[in-house]
This record gives sequence, structure tokens and C-alpha cells, in this order.
Amino acid sequence: MPYKFIEHPADIAVEVDGSSIEELFKSACYAWREAAMDLTSFNKESSKKFIFNGITPEILLIELLSELNFQLYSKKWVFVTIQNLLIEKTDNDYHLEIELFGQTFHPEIHRMKEEIKAITYHQMKIEKIGNQLKTMIVFDV
Amino acid sequence: MKISGIEIEKVNDNLWEIPRTGGMLVPGRIYASEKMLFETIQNDEALKQVVNVAHLPGIQKYSLAMPDIHWGYGFPIGGVAATDINDGVISPGGVGYDINCGVRLAKTSLDYHTIKNRIQKLIENLFHDIPTGVGSSGAIKKQNAKEIKNILRDGAEWAVSNGFGSEEDLLFTEETGKIKDADPDAVSSRAIERGMDQAGTLGSGNHFLEIDIVEKIFDANAANVLGLFENQIVIQIHTGSRGLGYQVCDDYLKILVQSEKKFGFKLPDKQLACAPIKSKEGSDYLGAMRAAANFAWNNRQIIMHLAKNSFKRTLNISDSDLSFGLIYDVCHNIAKIEEHIIDGKAKKVCVHRKGATRAFPSDSKLIPEKYRSIGQPVLIPGDMGRYSFVSVGTEKAMEETFGSSCHGAGRVQSRHQALNEAKGKNLIDELNKKGIVIQAKGYKTIAEEMPHAYKDVSEVVDVMHNAGISTKVAKLKPIGVIKG
Repeated sequence: MPYKFIEHPADIAVEVDGSSIEELFKSACYAWREAAMDLTSFNKESSKKFIFNGITPEILLIELLSELNFQLYSKKWVFVTIQNLLIEKTDNDYHLEIELFGQTFHPEIHRMKEEIKAITYHQMKIEKIGNQLKTMIVFDV
Repeated sequence: MKISGIEIEKVNDNLWEIPRTGGMLVPGRIYASEKMLFETIQNDEALKQVVNVAHLPGIQKYSLAMPDIHWGYGFPIGGVAATDINDGVISPGGVGYDINCGVRLAKTSLDYHTIKNRIQKLIENLFHDIPTGVGSSGAIKKQNAKEIKNILRDGAEWAVSNGFGSEEDLLFTEETGKIKDADPDAVSSRAIERGMDQAGTLGSGNHFLEIDIVEKIFDANAANVLGLFENQIVIQIHTGSRGLGYQVCDDYLKILVQSEKKFGFKLPDKQLACAPIKSKEGSDYLGAMRAAANFAWNNRQIIMHLAKNSFKRTLNISDSDLSFGLIYDVCHNIAKIEEHIIDGKAKKVCVHRKGATRAFPSDSKLIPEKYRSIGQPVLIPGDMGRYSFVSVGTEKAMEETFGSSCHGAGRVQSRHQALNEAKGKNLIDELNKKGIVIQAKGYKTIAEEMPHAYKDVSEVVDVMHNAGISTKVAKLKPIGVIKG
């Protein structure tokens, strides 16, 4: 997988990478899901679309992952696959549109691993290293 | 000398200073023993975070750290900073995601020896009655948005007026469980939705409910005033504002990170994002943070009441036989407007306590009248296998730490290291052999929270005691634990 969980003193840290900004964001979404829950027994029951704007790509990534967090803990909905993802730079900021397929979280079937309080800004910096974009993400649990 | 590249000077055996350099507006001060400084504190980025906090506009006197200091986001955990309310800032990073995470300690009249054979059953029933674990819900019926807003305004008073406890409980809660000027309208609908079914739930991670026995009394007079005696059964609850508080912090960090240019601050860490206290952004955060703090007090009040009923049902005893009562409830993640003496003059400041407990002295009018001869109780939980402590605040805390003390042990092992070390062990059996019954949603939580994943809290408490910041009253030993 294009992400790797690394040692962190109290929380969960993951290094993600991608060949493009879209691939990097997709890796981050899957890393978030692996940190939050067991991945068994999921179906593509429904789809949801989200649009975000942010003044930096890092803020955009935090917006997206925070939305996934909110969908899981408040709406009891978890994404299974990413159908469409568009990220573009506009005059003033960065713009993201995403369509996700997923399903309702059923506590009797699915298992949450961690309660991720939030996606932190700590050490998040999207950088190009060689041909790959990389960043660290720390989830506060 | 230098530690992790940071110049640090010894002030005395329990206090170290980082001199002001670069963009620091004040020096840093760390309460710690030499052993703690070299064995644990130097291993993470916490000292650098003390330096970073010293850059906050309007910071007064020192960027402080208590002996349980460890790496946090923006502020270190164990960090204390006071900022001028006129030209200073408020930072959500100085409070943390779990707004008003805190501890309450309740007493009973029960002696350990009279109920020692019922601990297993008590823990089973407490685990049944109090929702625990990731996304736990359903302690009380799901509240609608209007009722959540009432909780955000009224705090623990909401619980009491809905039958979860007594008026007396409020007297023994910091801020009487209802901090003034909370602004429910500054809390997003998203945060309210996240809290709708979480009132009265313990949550996961390091949150817990413990049955403890009073193992040792250090200060007989203070113990007597608090109503503590050796071998007494007491109950300790550690939790906070759950998803609602996390969302409030998240919402305002987002706003403040994007407002950085507007305010013209250049801070060394994005997690220190802040706003002038009197700006709209600062005042909105303060109102929302207070509302989330009220949600947490309501949460602990409901849990305590559920625990009391579990005790009565399990032991089949009456209220008068149980004599259940709240000793005190403290918050250890909060920012408060308080008056402190700075350069000989009384000044209003915003005291950020992130993983630090208020520790006001005996003559403070802000503590319950009953405790004005001894000082405010400071509740310091340790790990689930060793001990916790009750201390009281002092005048020296007012002089040196803006009336603040430590809040707990702090991790020494990552969750992953703890899980690895737990492999092949039966931690439940090991705790049972030490006389501790534990029940948790999953074995993983028990492994992650194993006692040796934490520092020895007695070292932390001793530094504060020896420094004269908060003095020891009693040591508590866990005999039953429920966790998420």
C-alpha cells in the first residue's frame, strides 16, 4: 500500500505517498480507514459527494480526512472506494471534489479500531521527493 | 547544558529554565527532577514545544511545563501559559482536542474489607451501565439539538435538573460544573451532532472509571476535611467532552489556521494557531470552548450518577448506607480568564492549561467553602496497575504557576510498543493477581494501556510536592477498572 504506519509516542502516525496529488489524497483516505476500523465485510451501498476549498493542499487534505471522520462517528457511514477525485488550484486557493462509495456502519458486523479525535496539522507537509509526493499525517486518538 | 539542542539551566532540584532566545517573548520553565529530564523528557519534542509556546503574543512571565510534560500538538501536554487578555491571544492548541478532559473523585462510606468479595460483580455492573469504547453512546436517550444546547449552556446543572445527581454535587465541581459565558451558538451544528448520543459516555483510550481504595494518607487534616480515610472505597472518573469537544477544537483550528495572515502572527507551529482574545474569532472560540467544557462536566456528572446507582443495586444498600458524595471534579484541558499577580499588580490573563490541573490555595474564593482551610483538591490519576494521588493547591502555585499543577502520568511507550510488549502475556490475569479486576471493550485497549506504558505517577506528584506547588494528601490504589 502507498502508506506506512510509523511509531508515535501516543497517537497514530502514517507516511503516505502518491505519484500525483490525487493519488496522495487517495492513499491518505485509505490510511485513515485502516487506522479507524477493520476492513472486512463492506459493500458499496450508497454514494456521497463532497466539495472543499482550502488555502493550502495540506488544509484541503485535513478537510477531506476530517469529513471521513465525521461521516464515520456521527453519520455512521464509511467509504469503501473512491470513485472520482478532482483537485485543482484556483486563483485564490485549492479546490477538491470527491465522490465516495460506501455503506452504513453496523456495530454488529463492523469493528472500529480507534476513536480518531481529529486529524492534526502536526508535521503535515506535502513535498515532492523524487517522482513521488509525500506527507506525514498524525491522527490524534 | 543543552538537551535536544535546547539550552537549559538548573534553577533548583525541581525546576529548570530555558533562557529567552530568538523569537521567545518569555523564558521557559519546566518542573521536573533531573532523572525525569534525562530519562524521559529529553526523548520527545516537548522541550521544543515549551520554546514554541513562548512565542505566543501576550504571554506572561514564563512558558511553563509540569513534570508530566510530554509531546502534544502545539502546546506540550503538561503545558501552562497565561496571556494578557488585552493584547494576548487564545490558542485551541493550548487546550487540546478533548476540551475539559478531567477527573472526578467520589467517596463512599464503604470499607474495602466489607465489600472485597463483590468487586468483580461491581465491575461487571458498572461496565454494563456505563457506555464505554469507541463511539460509545446510549447512556441516556439521544438528545435533540435544542437539548444539547441546553447542556452546553448549563453543564452539570442540566444533569442534576434531569435527575442525575444532587445540587451538592455542583458545589464540589470546578466552576460549579457550569462555566459562565458559554456560547452554544458558537458551537457548530456538526459538533452538536457529534455529541447528540454521547452524553454520559466514557469513550475510549486512556479514559476510565476506577474503583480505588485509599491506601495511604499523607496529610491527616486535609484528608479529614475531604472525607477520606484509609481502606475507604472511592470512585475515580476520567473522561471529557467526547466527540463534541474534538469537533469544536477542529472547527476553530481550521478557522484560525486560515486567519494567520489576517492577524499577522508568525508562529513556529501551525497547531499553535491563535487569535487575539478580544477578536471575533478569539471570542467565538472562547464561548464555544466553554460550552464544550460544560458538556464535559455534564458527562462526568451523569456517569457518576450511573455509577452510584450501580453500587446501590449491586450491593443492595440504601443511599444512607452508601453515603456517596462528590469530593471534587477538576478539568485539566481548558483556558480560563483569571486574575493573577504579575510584577506586583493584579492582572486578568487567559490561563491555558493543557494537561495541567488548577491548584488554587486555601484562601481562594473560587474553591468550595468547605475546602478553604486546606486548598483545592488536585486529582492526579496514574496508570491502572499502580496508584493515583490526591493533592491540594498552595499559595506557591499562585506565585509560580498561575495556580496550576500536574495532571497525570504521561506515556513512556507508544501504543504499538505496548501492544508488542503485551504479546504472549495475559494482562487481565496479571492485574487480577495484583488484586485489580478489569473489564474493557477489547483486549487491545488493555494492552495499549498496560501500566508500564506509563511513567510512574508518584515521581510526577513528588516533584510538585517538593516544589511546594501541590502537596500530597492521599494515595489511591485501583481495585477495579472499566475502560473503552
